[in-house]
Amino acid sequence: MARLLKPFEYFEPRTVEEAVQLLSKYGHQAKVLAGGTDLLISMKKRKITPQYVVYIKSIPELDYIHYSQQAGLKIGALATHTAIADSAIIKDKFELLASACGKVGTPQVRNMGTIGGNICEGGPSQDSVPSLLVLEAKLKLISLHGERIVPIDEFFIAPFKTALQEAELLTEIQIPTPPPRSAGCYKWFTKITTVDESLAGVAVLMLLDSTDGICRDLKIGLCSVAPTPIRARRAEQVLRDKKIDNSLIERAARVAVEETSPRSRADYRKRMTGVLVREAISETWQKIRQLHLRERA
Amino acid sequence: MKQIANFIVNGKACELAIEPHMLLVEVLRDELGLTGTKQSCGIGHCGACTVLIDGIPTLSCLTPALTARGKNITTIEGLAEGTRLHPIQKAFIDYGAIQCGYCTPGMILSAKALLDRNPNPSREQVKQALSGNLCRCTGYVKIVDAVLAAAESMGKEASE
Amino acid sequence: MSQKLSVVGKRIIQPDAAAKATGAAMYASDLKMPGMLIGKVLRSPYPHAKIKRIGKSKAEKLPGVEAVITPEDVTQWKPFDRGLKDLPMIAGGYLVPPDEHILNERARHFGDAIAAVAAINEHIAEEALELIEVEYEELPFVIDPEEAMKPGAPQVSDVAEGNIGKHLSYPFPEGDVEKGFKEADCIVEGTFSTTKQEHCTAETAAAVAHLDVNGRINIWSQCQVAHMARREIAHIFNMPVSKVKLMTPLVGGGFGQRGSVCAEPICIALALKTGKPVKLEYTREENFTALESRTGFKYNLKIGFKQDGTLTAMQVYMLGRLGGYMGCGPMASVIGMVFGLGHYRCPNRAGEADMVMTNTPVSGAFRGFGNPAMMWGIEQLVDEAAEKLGMNPLKIRLKNIKKAGEIANMGLRLESTYLDECIKRGAEAIGWKEKWGKKKEGKMRRGVGIATMTHCSGAAPLYLDHSNAFIKLNEDGSADLTVHPAPLGQHIWGALSQIAAEELGILAEDIHIVTGDTDITLFEYGSDASRSTYAIGSATLIAAHQAKEQILERAAKMLGVSPDELEIKERQVYVKANPKKSIPVADVCYDAIYNFKGECLNISGKCSWEGRWNSSPTGAFFAEVEINTETGRVKVIKFVTAIDCGKAINPMTVEGQLEGGMQQGIGYGLTEDYIINKDTGVVESDNYDTYKMPGILDMPETEVVIIDKPDPKGPFGAKGVGEPGMVGVAPAIANAIYDAIGVRIKDLPITPEKVLKALGEKSQ
Repeated sequence: MARLLKPFEYFEPRTVEEAVQLLSKYGHQAKVLAGGTDLLISMKKRKITPQYVVYIKSIPELDYIHYSQQAGLKIGALATHTAIADSAIIKDKFELLASACGKVGTPQVRNMGTIGGNICEGGPSQDSVPSLLVLEAKLKLISLHGERIVPIDEFFIAPFKTALQEAELLTEIQIPTPPPRSAGCYKWFTKITTVDESLAGVAVLMLLDSTDGICRDLKIGLCSVAPTPIRARRAEQVLRDKKIDNSLIERAARVAVEETSPRSRADYRKRMTGVLVREAISETWQKIRQLHLRERA
Repeated sequence: MKQIANFIVNGKACELAIEPHMLLVEVLRDELGLTGTKQSCGIGHCGACTVLIDGIPTLSCLTPALTARGKNITTIEGLAEGTRLHPIQKAFIDYGAIQCGYCTPGMILSAKALLDRNPNPSREQVKQALSGNLCRCTGYVKIVDAVLAAAESMGKEASE
Repeated sequence: MSQKLSVVGKRIIQPDAAAKATGAAMYASDLKMPGMLIGKVLRSPYPHAKIKRIGKSKAEKLPGVEAVITPEDVTQWKPFDRGLKDLPMIAGGYLVPPDEHILNERARHFGDAIAAVAAINEHIAEEALELIEVEYEELPFVIDPEEAMKPGAPQVSDVAEGNIGKHLSYPFPEGDVEKGFKEADCIVEGTFSTTKQEHCTAETAAAVAHLDVNGRINIWSQCQVAHMARREIAHIFNMPVSKVKLMTPLVGGGFGQRGSVCAEPICIALALKTGKPVKLEYTREENFTALESRTGFKYNLKIGFKQDGTLTAMQVYMLGRLGGYMGCGPMASVIGMVFGLGHYRCPNRAGEADMVMTNTPVSGAFRGFGNPAMMWGIEQLVDEAAEKLGMNPLKIRLKNIKKAGEIANMGLRLESTYLDECIKRGAEAIGWKEKWGKKKEGKMRRGVGIATMTHCSGAAPLYLDHSNAFIKLNEDGSADLTVHPAPLGQHIWGALSQIAAEELGILAEDIHIVTGDTDITLFEYGSDASRSTYAIGSATLIAAHQAKEQILERAAKMLGVSPDELEIKERQVYVKANPKKSIPVADVCYDAIYNFKGECLNISGKCSWEGRWNSSPTGAFFAEVEINTETGRVKVIKFVTAIDCGKAINPMTVEGQLEGGMQQGIGYGLTEDYIINKDTGVVESDNYDTYKMPGILDMPETEVVIIDKPDPKGPFGAKGVGEPGMVGVAPAIANAIYDAIGVRIKDLPITPEKVLKALGEKSQ
């Protein structure tokens, strides 16, 4: 691998409009640079050698975290993993997203890397994505032709291939406020060491009726166990509208495993998916029950 | 094509003409002669190239230099005041936290960023803050000891 | 030896620490000279290929490129042995023939050097590499040593027929193993395998070379054995040794990898071709694929015991993977057998090894050399035997460890050993009594395990163990100590300062280390084999002693007493019987240098030291682990190393060596795996994204117990402590895993998959 980058022409647009103009002008020869923690490695490995680099951290209005009960959570694409992991409102209301962003890479990578970059990289093991899948995040994509909103579960097409078009820019991640009395969590195993890529990651979001203990809704998002991050929809069905117990959780975990299709270390990844799904559902279930108890008290 | 870039490096303003594809680590080491910033893995996994940009630990091997225009950059050379060492540097020396020394600049800068925002960290918080810096010599034990000792001595200094 | 020590044993601060803490420290990678060019190497993407044609004109035409060299451009220079073993320097041992050229017409492994460029900057050098056109003819290759030994396997090397690089035997066989096994009541045996661990030195290989105005090669080299590297360089480039000046800057980690020549030959070739200074700095990927890393073994081990736990016989057959060139790798088997089979008292011992050439990156020396590989199996089998015999693992070891005065592992007298104390105090520190052998239940299970080891203090008697020290006293009573260890981060300058200062009765900060330049330093074997403090320290002590005698003689005259009535303490020469009568060391030195009475003398001492003995450090390692039985993940909770390294010259440094050894040992045991694709021969783990060494969050709570009892031979009682720290770590973890969940993992590294598989097999 080379240590240095090949020459390119460099732009620092100040507005989204300027940025998308540049992207549409240069097409596939241009690459968007944000935190650089994925892009620059690919450039050093000469997997990509863009002729034009459009640095978007120069656009001030894309780095924010806004929340209101009605509008939900809006995260600018340039919010860093550190900003999200440390955000008081996200830790309080979207804890599964905060913990997922707190798991990405190393402290330095989290300081540099952005949530938009993590999503647009489109790899199978992007840690922020399972939580976004279960939170039913929507992505705001802007091009010269205007903006479109794409649900995140329609965004990932194949490994490192997304619905993002050539001259489009992801500007915002929109996350609706989860219903009251819901809870969630993100669990993962790393491949080898503590700070390492995920071997498997599981996000769970659950809505439980406090009166009858019935699971009104359950969503399971997975990463690193299929060509793209996925929802384990059949496993969700196992628990939806059922009264939860441990054997049902076990069954959901088994079904989730069937929904995976890992490539390397396949047997182990599958087995670990089962463990993580079970743990994530159990932990979420406990959280909700405690929430209910607190409310009653 | 070269572009003019202004940085504040270790408190001093500097103006350079640099190519867009030049990395911050190259500019610091080759243009400014600040060789305390090290390159070790080149892919952002080891933290040896860590510098502080506006106080935040950043990988200079994955940062095109132009993106740091107008920013405050702190390298290991910027910590001591003249011959007076920063308390973290002193603690690293006193506690035997330095062996080959190649990871040391990055370690110290990660530690500085931590202590600047959390002057009284726990052992676990120190480990978390340094988890992006690899060391092959020390087993990290004395590094954590040194950061905790530095926190204590900085606390004392501040209260005096 | 119950000396009262005032400098030795202190936790002094290292002379180079401040420079390292402020970024001022200069490493080879930091050096810059006017007009300096940057070198880059083109490497083979194939494990075995003939270079049919190289087109270099495009690269040569690129503005800024000053040289493009290919195999045909380096034929005037000699082939070499990168491991520097092409001289008869191993007693009764072997030679490694020169088997490698600076650039090679046939790539013998992925990452082998094919061509090189020098350009005015790194950008142009990188671009030039891409412009070199190479036509390869891919050849059949072999990755696995067992395959390589089969008839008809692809021939890897020109100097190893049938791919057997070396067949080696245990150099100190004893008794009759067959008889020994017949006498045994309990025989344990197993097949163990170990990995090719990469050193992961923080600084990659780097060198700077130029031809000076006198036509001498000036080379800044990280080599751990500077003087032998100089000899080899002179040999390769057809120069007298006096025409090579080798300088050693600070080195960002060695661990044995820099015990061989690394970037030097290509760097010098580029400097000679261009007539300009050239810096060649390897990328991390090159560090993984172009340099030596730990030798991977597969071996069959068999050990016999009497009912009471007494050892009767040990036997091993090792198969080692050398790679495309022989390098230092063959010796790893000998070291493994010497320390492994010689560790316990055992009347019947034998071992054989086949070291096999394969189309893989080269194997060589890494902290502990073959010892960690061998102890991986021995310490597990000892535990297995203990269980069969109904003995406690501590007890079976205490029963068999050698005592001082017995013949140690290199055929030499065991000068001192406190391994029994290491075992007892380490067991206390880990909480052995409360924790070992308890019934384990539930998902998360904990266990404790032990491993012991012995290692060396220097290379004697296997290698030539030759060190030199020269010390001179300045007119103010300070001293310049000329030595040439490699400053790898092991704090050797500080340790040697302490030894010299202690002997001279001055302070450690009074000693200035003159080093790192073969023009100035006397011959030095170098910094490996845990020898710097022991061997260079011994030379330093004797040189300092000579100087001290001169001080005392002069002072005696000045004080009107006889020299044996005097002692030196804290820079002052005292009359022992009347401490009020004294004179500063500085005054004695000044008077000797500026002497107008016709008695000028620069007080000095010089010692050529040759190791004829070798004090064995010993140690006991204790791991406490927690295993998640659902995931197979092993977490080391606590790790204790109890070490008998003689007198600790600087306890802080000793702790640092052992704590660092734990990190490397935990990596060897659990996380580090050098992966070569079996179908393509490509190295798949060539950087830290794919090759994972333990980070700060992977480290357990640690404790180092230093026994701190002096050895009769070492300087102030010191023994070697550079390598021991990692030797017993992995087997201690394996034994702790057995204690926790009752399964044995015999091939490294211990992955979660292997743990789960073993658990599954056990429950069936």
